Amino acid sequence: MLKFLHTDLFSLLITLGVMLIFARLFAEIGKKFKLPVVMGEIFAGVLLGPTVLGAIDPDIFSYLFPKEGSAKIALDGITSISVILLLFVAGLEVQLQLVLKQGKTAIYTSFTSMIIPFALGFCAVWFVPQWFNYETNHRLVYALFFGTAMAISAIPVIAKILLDLNLYKTKVGQIIMAAAIFDDLTGWLMFSLILSMIGKEGEITNVWYTVGMILCFGLFMLFIGKKIIDRALPWIQTKLSWPGGVLSICLGMCFLSAAFTERIGLHAILGAFIMGIAFGDSVHLHEKAREIIHQFVTNIFAPLFFLTLGLKVNFIQNFDVTLVAVVLFLAVFCKLLGASLGAYLGGLSKRESLAVGFGMNARGAMEIILGTLALNAGLIDEKMFVALVVMAIVTSMMSGPLMKKMLN
Amino acid sequence: MEFDLNKLKKRPSYPFETIAVGLSFSPRMESVLAEAKKISDVCGSKLILIHVGAKTIEKEKVFSDILFRNNIEEKKVKVIWAEGDEVNTMLQLCKQNIVDLLILGALQKENILKFYLGSIARTISRKAKCSVLLLTNPSKEARPAKKIIVNAGVDHPKTIHSINTALYFAKKMGVKEISLVHEVHSPTLSMAMAESSSAPEVTKMKKEFTEEESNKLHSLIAKCETDDLKINEKVIKGKPGFAIRQYAETKKADLLVINSPDTNLTLLDRIFTHDIEFILADMPCNLLIVHSRI
Repeated sequence: MLKFLHTDLFSLLITLGVMLIFARLFAEIGKKFKLPVVMGEIFAGVLLGPTVLGAIDPDIFSYLFPKEGSAKIALDGITSISVILLLFVAGLEVQLQLVLKQGKTAIYTSFTSMIIPFALGFCAVWFVPQWFNYETNHRLVYALFFGTAMAISAIPVIAKILLDLNLYKTKVGQIIMAAAIFDDLTGWLMFSLILSMIGKEGEITNVWYTVGMILCFGLFMLFIGKKIIDRALPWIQTKLSWPGGVLSICLGMCFLSAAFTERIGLHAILGAFIMGIAFGDSVHLHEKAREIIHQFVTNIFAPLFFLTLGLKVNFIQNFDVTLVAVVLFLAVFCKLLGASLGAYLGGLSKRESLAVGFGMNARGAMEIILGTLALNAGLIDEKMFVALVVMAIVTSMMSGPLMKKMLN
Repeated sequence: MEFDLNKLKKRPSYPFETIAVGLSFSPRMESVLAEAKKISDVCGSKLILIHVGAKTIEKEKVFSDILFRNNIEEKKVKVIWAEGDEVNTMLQLCKQNIVDLLILGALQKENILKFYLGSIARTISRKAKCSVLLLTNPSKEARPAKKIIVNAGVDHPKTIHSINTALYFAKKMGVKEISLVHEVHSPTLSMAMAESSSAPEVTKMKKEFTEEESNKLHSLIAKCETDDLKINEKVIKGKPGFAIRQYAETKKADLLVINSPDTNLTLLDRIFTHDIEFILADMPCNLLIVHSRI
């Protein structure tokens, strides 16, 4: 039986310390150059991973990141917890009322920015398979995945861009946020379905069972779970220690929900995401509590997760120029077309609609999480993963300047 | 039923020239009527009493007794007995009679099923093309409102009309002080700030946010017809609708004034509760929904 020895603990602590410090260091350097934080964190992983450190000094690399043993299992566990928490905080910001409140323009933008990229992404895989590299027996799942990857948005990076450009409170800003929330919600539900469709043996399992379970769980949380949370939160926030009480209960519920969905054959991320929505939607969740959860996850677990991406994949060896170009072109074209069309049909001017399109185009961390989960599930290969990471970073970087240009 | 819709278009939300009261022969009918009479007296309005339901001898008798007890001369008010769907008939009659304010009795909180399906008073208040006053705790003595709170969402074009209507109502009712409250909601802000902002940046950003909203509220008030009324300005944070409901509860307000909804509200708006639906779900006090007809 595998035991967690004193040496394993020592190794794990050194690894975690180095990862956190390097991730923060490069995130701060990136910030100085106005680059997304996630880019600095991934770059730290590339430096510490097989691409650079592994090539320069394989011994140090193997010591820091052993390929087997208890420390490796522990690190994998921490990474899995990180992705669950990242989905939980993503759920915290899903507020569908915002879409309803913004009215026609937001509803049109939400639908077209989801449906058009999804449909075009799906068709690209289905009709031009030679552009992509996948196992032939996974064609449907792969096409569904690629459609979802084209459709998803990244609320954190979009919100940050809107804040930086002073557009956060404008009509365009609110429409972008509302549509991004809708795209994230539908995108993650779709992705959970896709992950659940891939059985343990790599075969497609019962789709209707999965759809039914997702619907049942979602509706239960929406109608009953949300009511329970609404009633419990005021008590938790006033009677238990602050902010420890609310933090423990929120994260505890997140893990239980993730465990439940994993147990019933759905992916753990779905449970975390939906529990995040239920907590985030509650009017009783204090703004301060929300901030603390975000700070905790974004600054401790997110860097660990994004840094491990650089450790897993050799970005230079797996950089396929053609694939990167195809993915990047499709991502920008599909999202720009979908979001701008919806905004224009909803009544915005041409330039405002294009600004909405460029704003929605930022994929950021969410796309990278999606790619990682697909890679771990064996759905995509490392070349596609690298292409998705590059696309996420490039779209996040081009979003702000192009929005600014459109609105000036 | 024929009526000229043009008479309603762009009609100002005040003065209340015509006030209608929806009467349901419930135990609180007399209190609702007493409150309505008081308001119509101080506003100098024409009073219309509407009952949607069968006209029976018993009902007529009860009705005459109530009018007598409240010193209302039947000749001086218009009484309409109508049959049909309660909501649609009431809305049609209000349009036909160019009603400026419709007064209805309403429970503070409906049971969950009724709330989702929509009670009559709440459904009318969601759809009405005139201002609606929902009385949660009417009294036969018609106690005057002392604490009035107005939801002053600075970015909405309807708000200035709602504030002016509230000011008009306050002056007529002899209220000396009124609170104008602006709700600020910043979804995803904490996520954006956690992304890469330092502590001083976060503090500065939050301070600028609040100051900007305070200034907007101040500028809006400067455009309103405040006269010699004392105005309290307040910026609160939280989900729109819920934050002001809590604020009105805490301050023990007598009347909360809000804008009418912008769109046709449906069951979906009650499931993903927002804005006015938070207030209708559990009314903190009497509620005046101003329909500005802009």
